[in-house]
Order: sequence, then structure tokens, then C-alpha cells
Amino acid sequence: MKSIRKMSLLLLIMTFILAACGDSGSTNKAEEGTTTKKDEKVKLTVWHNFAGDDLRAKAVRGLIEKFQADNPNVELDAQAIPPDGYRQRLSTVAAGNELPDLFFVYAGSHSAELYKAGLLQPITEVVDQNPEWKGKFLPGAFDPFTFEPGQVYTAPIGMSATSILYYNTTLFDKYKVKVPTTWDEMMTAIKVFNENKITPIALGNKAPWVAQSTIIGALGDRVTGTEWFKNAAAQKGAKFTDPEFVKVLNYFKELSDKKAFQDGANSIDNTQAEQYFIQGNAAMMVSGAWTLTNLAASASEDQMKNIDVTVLPSIPGGKGEANTITGGAGGGLALSKRTEGAAKEAALKLIYAVSGPEAQKAIAESNSMVMYDTDIDKAKVTSLYYKAFNLVKKTTITPVYDAYLSAEAAEVVNNGLQEIMTGGSPESVAKKLQDAQARSVTP
Amino acid sequence: MPTALRSKSFIALALLPALLLFIVFVIVPVFWSAYYGLFEWKGFGATKFVGLGNYREILQDHIFWRALRNNLILVASAIVGQIPIALLLALVLLKNTFFTRIIRSAVFMPMVLSTVVVGLIWGYIYHPQFGLVNTVLEAVGLGSWTRPWLSDIHVNMLAITIPINWSNIGPYMVIFIAALQNISPEIDDAAKMDGAHKWKKLLHVTLPMIWSTVVVTLVLCISGSLKAFDHVMVMTHGGPAQSTELLATYMYNNTFRVYRYGYGSAVSTIIMIISALLIGINYILTRKKAD
Repeated sequence: MKSIRKMSLLLLIMTFILAACGDSGSTNKAEEGTTTKKDEKVKLTVWHNFAGDDLRAKAVRGLIEKFQADNPNVELDAQAIPPDGYRQRLSTVAAGNELPDLFFVYAGSHSAELYKAGLLQPITEVVDQNPEWKGKFLPGAFDPFTFEPGQVYTAPIGMSATSILYYNTTLFDKYKVKVPTTWDEMMTAIKVFNENKITPIALGNKAPWVAQSTIIGALGDRVTGTEWFKNAAAQKGAKFTDPEFVKVLNYFKELSDKKAFQDGANSIDNTQAEQYFIQGNAAMMVSGAWTLTNLAASASEDQMKNIDVTVLPSIPGGKGEANTITGGAGGGLALSKRTEGAAKEAALKLIYAVSGPEAQKAIAESNSMVMYDTDIDKAKVTSLYYKAFNLVKKTTITPVYDAYLSAEAAEVVNNGLQEIMTGGSPESVAKKLQDAQARSVTP
Repeated sequence: MPTALRSKSFIALALLPALLLFIVFVIVPVFWSAYYGLFEWKGFGATKFVGLGNYREILQDHIFWRALRNNLILVASAIVGQIPIALLLALVLLKNTFFTRIIRSAVFMPMVLSTVVVGLIWGYIYHPQFGLVNTVLEAVGLGSWTRPWLSDIHVNMLAITIPINWSNIGPYMVIFIAALQNISPEIDDAAKMDGAHKWKKLLHVTLPMIWSTVVVTLVLCISGSLKAFDHVMVMTHGGPAQSTELLATYMYNNTFRVYRYGYGSAVSTIIMIISALLIGINYILTRKKAD
């Protein structure tokens, strides 16, 4: 009897001890997070989302490790957080005002919100110290991070190109189809492939941003022109209920109605669609540069040599240019407002280390697009990536919708496209999008 | 019984840590989240007090009502699917033979799998091109029945209930088996002597004897179905076009995809209230029956 009581008490005490341990652990971490000036070593914390096993993530992690090796006086605490949970984790620490010194921010509303909340400080000095570096960034690279005139808040590490038209040359040759350069040719191609039981365009739209990011931005720009879209996003002189935007959605509806996408495109994810395409089940796929990275890891060179890349076809009477791809600067490391002194110096050095000229080359050679004028070694990359790299160099970059829309409006258009694919009307989607964007622009 | 377990003060002391944890991590956040629901907040930066604005907006959003309807479909499918099937299996597998033990483990199996795995498996079973369901239908000549099960908005909610029920039957079966084993054999014998046979015995003897267990499983079913999230998140993300949105995915999407933390908090408060209401109704209904 006594022993049971003793044991229960012991268990109870152990529980308390365990609880106490957990607690002290977390306070230790918090102390590590803040930089102490007394130490000779400079403490620097950095959070990024290059956590994956793909070449690009490895390349960036390699750059960070190299920085650590070159700077022994810096005590670097770098955390790689998987992209899926990254924004949530960052928001959580931002809410508690416990941001790390440096952290990866996305271009668009993500970094803009952090700036508006007063959590960032500019990194203009490191950019100005290296004018030849600054000069080789492609036009518009700093636009998403110039929140006030003359001040930049990060240097983009990568570039997103979201609407590349991948096509299977074997299938196009076999059925004697012309690679579409106009909308009519696209419709013909869709018809011929459907008659031969080949899916014309592979789409994996389970996570509903895919159709928006890869197709609607590019279609939209061709029909309405960039100027109109920027005005509509700012709700100045243009509305998403305007006839030109309804026309954009109608083009998308036409694709869906003509069975351009395989059955059930809304219940498979983008990676599955990539596999479906690379295995020769579909003739085309509209996707971003991330597909290059994915295919480099999963497809054989044999499969890839049959794939070629181009831009989406032009639209008759459209106001926008045809030779364009949607995209923009990728994210970069941003500097916390609270970081000062030696830690700030080290932080700026690290920004240069992961986005400077050598870094850009290294990232480009990891089969990943950069917003920087650099030459790459053909032998180091896949043949498909090399084709895409040269395609993107020759084209103009136009905005991706969700980089300009508020998070809420982006969600509305994402869901709206699925709605159109399941029989919804373009007019009602246009109206919902207009309402959502108007709400977020005028609070 | 050891005296240690009888003394009230010791019981109180032993419960204290769990109770404290429960209060700090469950009770307090419930009120906290109801309070956050009064604000427009992006997760960081400035908060704006909007009173009951979020709650009003939720009640006017037809997606919320669709999510609620989908949840009620889940509740209904759980009550008509999980509990009767679990009870039936429990009655059949009550005897402790080698064979029944194997079947029991097989039924319990999906419960051990993580829900993400279950979601992925069924995602492949329902795959529009290579899925098991469509392939089998094609093979037996029912090609016209094939469809993209998870993206056809007319059937996808029903398609989703199947894996959820499939993976939840196991624990209810175990609970029922335990309850059935607690019925003393004398009662069984008495029923037999009075001439009660299979159905009569089940209806008038067995069910009343385990009625309290049935009530508990009903409560678990309702609360489980209202909390449902992971299967749907893995299989459809609540899509396409929010056709399989549940209350929990609606809350999640508004909080973590649209970054409206205040609105999301208000949604979770409403989920709490709805769960409490449904469980209250269930309590009243089943109590009357028991009388």
C-alpha cells in the first residue's frame, strides 16, 4: 500500500520536473535569440525556408554554411523552416515581437505587411556599396521591396517565372500539331489531342493557387495589358467587373469547356500533374519555373529531352504584349528593425553572401531562375532548364496576380477559377473578386 | 483498494497538474479566442476593434453555411454509418477466437494509421485517372459510373465521408465490445429462458444494458465530426471551389491563408457554440429515450 502511494507521488513529482524542464528550455532559447553586445562573438539569428532537399535549397544552405566558415567571429544560428509552415511561424514570432535578425520574406503582400507593421529596416547601404552588383539585377528586381523612394528592404534571392508553356515535342510531332502561338492554334491543338485521347494540358489545381498563378495572370495580361491590371489591383480607374476582365475569365472557361484539362484536375496536386505530363499522358503543361526544379530531381534526362518550352499563345485583339511570362522577383532576406551594431553589419554581409554575384550564379546553376544577369555553365544544369533560362531572358516579365492582390482577393480568385471549372459563371467570380479587392484597398 | 487511491485530498492533488494544464491550454484559449474574434487582426501589426462585426459577417457568409451543412452531413454519416456498423461488428466479433481477433485488428488498423496517410491512400483510391475505384468500375463494365470522385461537386462530400467513417469505426467497436463484455451472463441466460431471441434480445436487453455507452459514442461521434479537419485538408483542401469546406477548414483558411486572425477566432468560437448546442440536443434526446 505504502509503495503505491510513494510511487504515485514520485510520478507526480517527475511530471512537475518535466514541466519545469520544458519551461527553462524555452527561456534559454529566447535569451539566445537576442544579441548580446558583451560577447566577443557576434550572434546572428536567421530564418529561411530553404529547408527542402532540392538543389536550390541545398545551394542556398551551402551559401549560408560558406558564410559561417568565412566568418568565424559570427555565431550563426540559421533555422531552415519548411515552406508550408514558414509564414505562420514567422507571423507568430512577429506578433510576439521576437523576430530573428534576418528572415526570408516573400515578394508582394507578405513583405509589404511586415514593412507596414514597422518590423523591417532598409538594407540600402549594402546595395549602394556594390554598384556593379546592383546594376546587374534585371529591371524591376527591387520594385517589390522599394517601400519608400530610395530605400530597398531586401535583395531578391531568386526569381519566379510562373507561366511557362511546357510541351511534349514527341506528341506534337506524332499528331502533326503546330505548337500554338495564337489562341486559334491552341484550340486546334486541344481538339486534335482530345480526339486522340491525349490530355491537352495537364493541370493539378488541388491547391487552388495553381491555375491562378500559372494561367490567369498570363491570359489576363495578354487581354487587358499590364497597366489595366495594376490599376484594378489599386482600384484606381479600373475594376475587376470591367468587361475586359470578364473576357479573361471567359477565355479560361473556354479552356475548361473544351476539355483542355484532364478530368478531376481540381483533385490532384501540381506534382502529380507534372508526373502525368512527363510520362507522356498530356501534351502540354502550363507551369512555373518550380517545375524545372522538380523535374530535375525526379525525371530522367531521356524524358526531359522531349520537352520544350515557350510562352503562352497570343490573344486576338488583346491589349497586352504576347511575348511575356508572368513572374517577378523572388523573396530575399530582410533585416529586423531591432538588429543593431555589429550584428547588423554581419547581417548585411550575409545578405550579400546569399544574393551577391557568386551566389546568383550558384543558384542559377542549381536549376533555379534568378533575377540577375549572369551566365551559366550549360554542363551544370539540365537541358530543359537551359532552354527555359534562355527563354525567360528573352521575354518580358508581367505581374503574377496574387503578388498584387490582397491575400483575401487572391483566395477569392483561386476559388473562383475552380468554380468556373465546375460550372460557375465568370461574371459572378469577377464580382466577388472586385468586392474582395475593394474591401482590402479601402479599409 | 489501496488507501492512497481513496483519500479525496490525494485524488485532488493528483488531478491538479492535469487540471491546470487543461485550464491553461484549453479553457483560457477558448475565451481568449472569443475575445480576439472582436478584432480585425492580420496576425501582426495593428488590431482594430470591430465589435461583433466578424460574427455578423460569418453568419452572412454563405460559405460558412455550406461548411456547416457539410459538417452536418459528416455528423449524420457518422451516426448512421459508424455507430451501427461498429455495434454490428462488436456483436459479431464478441467471441474471443483467433479468427475474430484478426478481424478486430483489421478493423482497428486504420485508426493506427495517421490521418494524413489515410487521406493520401484514399486520394489515390479516388484518383481520376489511375484510381482504384474508377479502374474497378471500368473493369466490371460500369465505365459510365466513373467520375473524378473528389472534384465532382455533386458527389465529393459523400466520397469524403467513406474514408472518415472507415477510419473511425475501430475505436467505437472496441468501446462496444468492452460494454458488451460487461453484461453479466446471468442476464443473458434469463433473457433466453424468457424466450427472447436474437432481435428481441438485442432490442430489449442488450441495447438498454449498453445504452449509456451508446450515448457516449454518440457524443464522441458528434464532436469528432464537428472537429473533422485533417482528412479533408489532405484530400481536397476544402475545394474545389470550397465545395467540401468544413467549419474547421473554413476557420483554418481564413486564419492562415487569408491572414484574418480575428475572423478565424470568431469562427472557432462559433464552432464551439454549435458543438455545445448539438451535444446538448443529443443529451436531451437520449435521456428521454432512457427513461
